[in-house]
Amino acid sequence: MTAVRLQAQALSVGYGERLVVSGLDLDVLSGSVTAVIGPNGCGKSTLLRALGRLLPARSGAVVLDGKRIDRTPTREVAKVLAMLPQSPQAPEGLTVAELVARGRHPHQAWYRQWSPEDEAAVASALEMTGMAELAERTVDELSGGQRQRAWISMALAQGTDLLLLDEPTTYLDLAHQVDVLDLVQRLHRDFSRTVVMVLHDLNLAARYADRLVAMKDGRIVVAGPPSDVLTEPNLLAVFDLDARVVPDPVTSTPLVIPIGHRHRTREP
Amino acid sequence: MKGFRVGPVSGPLRWRPFTVVVVGLGLVVLAGAVSVARGDFPIPLGQVFDVLLGGGQRGQRFIVLDLRLPRALTGVLVGAALGVAGAVFQSIARNPLAGPDVLGVTWGAGAGAVTVITFAGSLGVVGGTTAAVGVPLAALGGGLVAGLLVYGLAWRRGIEGFRLVLVGVGITAVTGNFTHYLLTVGDVTDAARVMVWITGSLNGRGWEHVVPVGLALAVLIPAALVGTRLLGALQFDDDTVRGLGVRLNGARTVMLLLAVVLAAVATASAGPVAFVALASPQIALRLAGTATPPLLGSAVVGGLLVVVSDLVARLAFGGFELPVGVVTAVLGAPYLMYLLVRSRREARV
Repeated sequence: MTAVRLQAQALSVGYGERLVVSGLDLDVLSGSVTAVIGPNGCGKSTLLRALGRLLPARSGAVVLDGKRIDRTPTREVAKVLAMLPQSPQAPEGLTVAELVARGRHPHQAWYRQWSPEDEAAVASALEMTGMAELAERTVDELSGGQRQRAWISMALAQGTDLLLLDEPTTYLDLAHQVDVLDLVQRLHRDFSRTVVMVLHDLNLAARYADRLVAMKDGRIVVAGPPSDVLTEPNLLAVFDLDARVVPDPVTSTPLVIPIGHRHRTREP
Repeated sequence: MKGFRVGPVSGPLRWRPFTVVVVGLGLVVLAGAVSVARGDFPIPLGQVFDVLLGGGQRGQRFIVLDLRLPRALTGVLVGAALGVAGAVFQSIARNPLAGPDVLGVTWGAGAGAVTVITFAGSLGVVGGTTAAVGVPLAALGGGLVAGLLVYGLAWRRGIEGFRLVLVGVGITAVTGNFTHYLLTVGDVTDAARVMVWITGSLNGRGWEHVVPVGLALAVLIPAALVGTRLLGALQFDDDTVRGLGVRLNGARTVMLLLAVVLAAVATASAGPVAFVALASPQIALRLAGTATPPLLGSAVVGGLLVVVSDLVARLAFGGFELPVGVVTAVLGAPYLMYLLVRSRREARV
């Protein structure tokens, strides 16, 4: 049996008065790639931020490796779980190497800020993402795709086997989206990282995740393998979207083809 | 990235910031020595070093050790404290305009000092000696109170740089106007003393001024250096910082309080020396080629800026001696503007 790494138990989270996620249960299995999908404002990012202990639970709990995450020192959490927020910001002029080196923060102390382990972890993170040649560039002069890879390198340098990625492909063109997701897949396959990510593109989610979690109004509507989740009735229920689902000609995962108003045929 | 390792101790080592600190320290010593050598009774530079190493004639020892060295040392220490405080404020607010001037500390200290000066003078409530000791103490208290007030008012389930700056501007306006009110109430001689104090002056600084700021720095600068690691993490957006396992509000609070105390101590010793806290971190950042203000670099640049400015203030205008704050503003402002214009990048932290 595969172990549950990260778990939401009857989790409710919100901002101010508003409850965005309510009574949600979710198991993230070791070695899996989970993609959270759903319409805008359904609580995907909120769920991810709660899983990464960036938002406190109103009720229920997030459990990491069998321990409640809010009762584990945040530094200990940072050694097993790395989180890449939706639009991370670094000061101008920071080099890729400096950025990635900051990922070592949870492993350092004031007197130990550049141990041999730090150096090795940073070098291997840069290697894994193919950013080694760009290490001395500043983050602000990178292209969107390179910048995203730099941030992923920082999360990797943290040395965690659990990665939470909040819309890692936003603002990227299709080629760079595929590039980043290929990287995620390699991290999963070759370096056995467990990944939870929020994705907008359903077809890419179906290709790169082995488990989809479809959310609407702060609850999970359906979760499971892509072929079970991306069905025509589910798309209607979750996204209010009329769509055809056909096998992807490349990977035979589900391929969602939206119908749209003009092409809607009034069949029974 | 290069680093150094000695036993279990290790850290990153970049040559440019390191060189800035070493060369800067050399220049501070040189400028300090020149400052001690020059004056109504000039002493050759070589003999200044003789005296500092324990030699020299009695007269020279008196002039160097009792009259001029405390002034130069106060300048260096005040500059260093302001430089570090500015670097911390700018890093935490992620805003190059943040500093003790903007965050209420300077004018809070000003209000405290001016209260004592006017009450001791025209209103005669406080006596002579009390007034002399009372001014720096009141400045320290005023600066701390204003800094803490800004911090408390800006706190809303955490500290945000932007809100911190806005609240700081508000408190600065209030304390500034209170100071102006006292100026109007007090008589002319008080007003003149107040103006000198508000401009920031190293005139007549003795060992009694060196010791408090020296002690404060001996504790606070190492504390700030230990905090460098936190500042390095705090340069990112809040989610990234917390993702790295940093207790965001705790880390910000500790570093901000450190900076408030440094700025208040410095202001209590020499008055609000303008522009040093704002310019030193930005100058150090560009010299060192780092993305955020380097703490040690900012300290060294701050010390150098104040000592050189004081030298100019004392000597450049014949017999007429200006308060150092006038010169720091005149020197610092155009240099910062030059850097900002020349630099391809926006002002950054």
